[in-house]
Amino acid sequence: MNNGLDSRRLKNIVSSLPTILYISILFYIPIIILLAISFTPPRKFIVEWVFTIENYISIFTNPIYYRILLNTIWIVLAATFMLIVIGFPIAYYLARVNRGLGAKILYFLIIPVEVNYLIRVYAWKVILGENGFLNLLLISIGLVEKPLTIFFYSWIAVVIVLIHEWLPYVIVPFYVNLVGIKDELYDAAMDLGASRLQIFRTVTLPLVKPAILTIVFLVTIPSLGEFAIPYLVGGQSGLMLGVLIDRYLSGFQLAIGAALSFFLLVITLALSLVMIKIFGYEALYSR
Amino acid sequence: MPKEIVLKTVDIWKKFGEVEALKGINLDVYRGELLVLLGPSGSGKSTLLRIIAGLEYPTSGKIYIDGDEITNLPPYKRDTSMIFQNLALFPHMTVYDNVAYGLKIRGISKDVIDRRVDEILELVKIKHLKDRRVTKLSGGQQQRVAIARSLILNPKILLLDEPLGALDLKLRKELHIELRRIHREAGNTWIFVTHDQEEALTLSDRIGVMNNGLLIQIGDKWDVYEQPNTKFVAEFIGETNLFKCRVKNIYSNKILAEWKGLEIKVKSDRRLYPEEDIYISIRPEYIGISSEKPLESELNIFHGTILDEVFKGSYVIYSIRLDNNEVVKVTVLSKDADYDPGDNVYLYWRIDKGVPIKE
Ligand SMILES: Nc1ncnc2c1ncn2[C@@H]1O[C@H](COP(=O)(O)OP(=O)(O)OP(=O)(O)O)[C@@H](O)[C@H]1O
Ligand SMILES: [Mg+2]
Repeated sequence: MNNGLDSRRLKNIVSSLPTILYISILFYIPIIILLAISFTPPRKFIVEWVFTIENYISIFTNPIYYRILLNTIWIVLAATFMLIVIGFPIAYYLARVNRGLGAKILYFLIIPVEVNYLIRVYAWKVILGENGFLNLLLISIGLVEKPLTIFFYSWIAVVIVLIHEWLPYVIVPFYVNLVGIKDELYDAAMDLGASRLQIFRTVTLPLVKPAILTIVFLVTIPSLGEFAIPYLVGGQSGLMLGVLIDRYLSGFQLAIGAALSFFLLVITLALSLVMIKIFGYEALYSR
Repeated sequence: MPKEIVLKTVDIWKKFGEVEALKGINLDVYRGELLVLLGPSGSGKSTLLRIIAGLEYPTSGKIYIDGDEITNLPPYKRDTSMIFQNLALFPHMTVYDNVAYGLKIRGISKDVIDRRVDEILELVKIKHLKDRRVTKLSGGQQQRVAIARSLILNPKILLLDEPLGALDLKLRKELHIELRRIHREAGNTWIFVTHDQEEALTLSDRIGVMNNGLLIQIGDKWDVYEQPNTKFVAEFIGETNLFKCRVKNIYSNKILAEWKGLEIKVKSDRRLYPEEDIYISIRPEYIGISSEKPLESELNIFHGTILDEVFKGSYVIYSIRLDNNEVVKVTVLSKDADYDPGDNVYLYWRIDKGVPIKE
């Protein structure tokens, strides 16, 4: 009997081995290496295996990192906020007001996701860039004399492109969530005397929490590490940590790059924990 | 005590596109009664309740509560509250928050709400569950929360749309007794919708039978059971024997009808004509069996042989083949049921127990 138990345990271990290997090789081991490198002196091209916290000291003392970090958070929060402000009404309309349309149009919302996003970024350039459509329009109606550069190569451009990039990922969770709320809940609230606004506040909002949490994990957190969009359209005011990290890593300044990466990782984790604290674990997988 | 009408609907029609869900409903509901609306699936029961609650508006017709027209008032301006087919409790709230919802919406102060919630939870006997999430309750407990959530507003009319549909039989039976108690103690008017005739008979003071968007018969449950006005009602409520007959002779308040070579006498104050085709309905429990021929004149008496018996615990259902080859069902209390298949017996029933029904 004891034997049987042991063999079952063995089987459990063996069968979970691939998962453990997969997660460690692709995930934890790289992070550990990253962590290790972040504690080596800032050298170009080489990693000198000497322990130091020099990189972290400069991250916390050099105001430039601090500024870029704030910039990153600001851009991502602004984009998330706008995404929710734009995405929720669309999802609400599709899920509750015009259901027939909802089921059909959702498909078309997802198609742009399949288009390579570099192509989409360049498309924005055609609209927002110095010689872009928007500037042409403003000049032709005489509102400005010279093309404006604030639309492109600025944090606003980053926010706009982020919104465009992520909108379907915001609409879909909201849509799925809203479609799942039974009509009878609205009827019941109405029957008990609630006005439309009160129903929205007491029924709809609390019940879309899972979608908001999903969006934070699906959109906000990945956006913190975004580098291509700020790199392509951000200019000075749109600089984000991801660009900086990319710059260091591709400039073979591995140690400082690793330290910044790790720093970003900790911020991301902290944010996740805060969200889970606010919404509760259950919100992730249940209504 | 004179009966006072609390709710009146006048010729309510409801069309959903091509579908006519209600076809002219005239309904009077008396203050304090428990009226059960009974009908098969799709007969328009929920639609009627939703129109009374204001969640739907009639295509035509009028509704009055205490004489005031409310046909076009929104739900929050009506003194009604509805309990839904799947209860529709707010899943993100506790029992307390669900029950307090209507009062909170109205901006009532917290002390008053707390006191009312306690009272009402006491009434439905789930005070100990006050802080539990409603998703963590059993079906029966959720049921009580739904009732409390509506009753706390003290509505003139409580509308219940098959609220026990999802529960198992035993629990339903327990809740039937509970519901009657709660109705008595709450003292307001209830309209309870169901497609279960047994539930209807257990719960109701009066029954309204619906079919195909029409209110076919409404009245005291005994009257509806004993004097069904249509074949549909006779078959839908309880068990019955229906004999397709032709009217032969009409006396002052009695008719003689021919049924496949046999003659049935039945009392009737309905207007019938000679040679008219009718049904006669007789409930199985009104038919007696004996081995000797009874010698009374106010009886219908037929000879037959026992075909089959089904034991149901306290009673037995016999199938009996008469001399005209028709089969009649008879229920007999088990203590009196000493017949076996093949026995020759006489069936008899009082002529005032049969009910003539027009096609
Ligand atoms: N919103 C709607 N749109 C279109 N048709 C509807 C709508 N609501 C109800 N109907 C139709 O009206 C008829 C009556 O429906 P209703 O829900 O009132 O029946 P019911 O008696 O409550 O049935 P059940 O016992 O199944 O609940 C049905 O034919 C139904 O299909
Ligand atoms: Mg219904």
